Amino acid sequence: MRFNVISYLFKEGIKNVFKNKKSTISSLMIMCATMLIFGLFFVIGENINAFVKEIADAQGIRVFLINSATDSEIEEVGKELLEIEGVRDVRYISKEEGLESMRETLGDEIIAGYTENNILPASYEVKLTDLELNEEVQKDILQIPNVEDIESSNPVIEQIIRLAKGVKIITAVILILLIVISIAIIANTIKLTVHARRKEISIMKYVGATNSFIRWPFLVEGVIIGVIAGLISVGIVGALYTYFYGKLSGTIFMDIANLKLIEFKDMFELILIVYLGLGAGIGAIGSAISMRKYLDV
Amino acid sequence: MIEFRKVCKKYGTGTMALKNVSFNIQKGEFAFLVGSSGSGKSTLIKLILKEEEPTSGNIIINGKDTTFLKQGKVPYLRRSMGVVFQDFRLLPDKTVYENVAFAMYIVKATPKHIRRQVPMVLSLVGLSGKAKMYPSELSGGEQQRVALARALVNNPSMIIADEPTGNLDPDTAWDIMSLLNEINMRGTTVVVATHAKEIVDQMKKRVIHIDKGVIVKDDKKGGYNCEI
Repeated sequence: MRFNVISYLFKEGIKNVFKNKKSTISSLMIMCATMLIFGLFFVIGENINAFVKEIADAQGIRVFLINSATDSEIEEVGKELLEIEGVRDVRYISKEEGLESMRETLGDEIIAGYTENNILPASYEVKLTDLELNEEVQKDILQIPNVEDIESSNPVIEQIIRLAKGVKIITAVILILLIVISIAIIANTIKLTVHARRKEISIMKYVGATNSFIRWPFLVEGVIIGVIAGLISVGIVGALYTYFYGKLSGTIFMDIANLKLIEFKDMFELILIVYLGLGAGIGAIGSAISMRKYLDV
Repeated sequence: MIEFRKVCKKYGTGTMALKNVSFNIQKGEFAFLVGSSGSGKSTLIKLILKEEEPTSGNIIINGKDTTFLKQGKVPYLRRSMGVVFQDFRLLPDKTVYENVAFAMYIVKATPKHIRRQVPMVLSLVGLSGKAKMYPSELSGGEQQRVALARALVNNPSMIIADEPTGNLDPDTAWDIMSLLNEINMRGTTVVVATHAKEIVDQMKKRVIHIDKGVIVKDDKKGGYNCEI
């Protein structure tokens, strides 16, 4: 397509946006409102994810081997551990190393009696790619022969994982609601412009305009509304998040819980892409839906 | 150029709008399509424009059978015809120039081509001086000239006019008809559906008279009234 045709189609689309100011503004407001609710859960989810990931990096599963395991059997267990899905890294801890690390945490006196007669089993420290796989990996590990027992992450982590899952589900549900509501709103707005310009559309058809040519300005209109809603929402989410970030970080509560919030600038790109993509996609689908009826002549 | 072969059109409501209609309008011909309201004239025009599909029979336009034309090809068929309506159908928020240029944008003409072509057709219809005016500032006859300029601007091989003088006083109606005649002299096929009995009688052109969906008379140099 030639440049002048493209610029013509864009100009028409932009004109459409301003022609129906009332419905454009109301659909912008509704889209922003739904995008903000989505954004709230999105940033909470991002923070929990970051937190979970940090724990996952630190936390591992300790796999204790039976005392009678031979060197080759120990090696075999190590190989099998690496083959389990969700295992990122495996580190062997010999009896001596185990005792050494215990000395560091408990002190010389308590373990003094054990230095001669080391009853600590040899073990592996398993790190996971994803904490959510914790339970399944544990089950798999217990299947491996010569494994005596495992010591897993504490129950708090399980709860955090459950929380993260819950937030993810809520975010997904809200996202779907956002998409459905916004598509309906945009479709309605565009229907109004299509209706206002039906005379023009019929003339275009008689002069031999292709359907795609007729559709473009309305598509542009939908995408513009969606993108504007996305930009406004990014701005509001950014402002609110930065405000609460300033209020929360450094407080005693956050220190005790050992929580660190993500800075907004680290999420900015992701949020911008998600919002613009959502806005443009919703706008395009909404206008496509509202155009369908008008084009079969 | 426009050929109907045993065309029937039955609407969903059960109305038989056209019954076994056959005719052939040659390239360069000027033909009137006359008949009272509800005679099937409008249906015939709609069939030519492919706004409606025939129930049976074939319609051949420019040597191509359009009966089974795919929906996506219809715009390209319509580019070979310029259409004029009784109610002008101009865009009120665009100037005369823009209304005509609009038809060229739609077929993706180059800006250079548009700048050259639009003033040319405006002078052909005698509206060179009113290019910057809006439709509301023009008389009915002038508005119909703009519509005619728009129909002509993409150099169609035929002009289809549906009651082009229906909203005009007799003098202005004559102006439009002579303009159509002039366009026909330049080689464009012209089909005019009309009620304007006097004009039809005086112009001595081919008249296809249709009544209750049937062609009752097809007179090469006829008038409106005919004995059946």
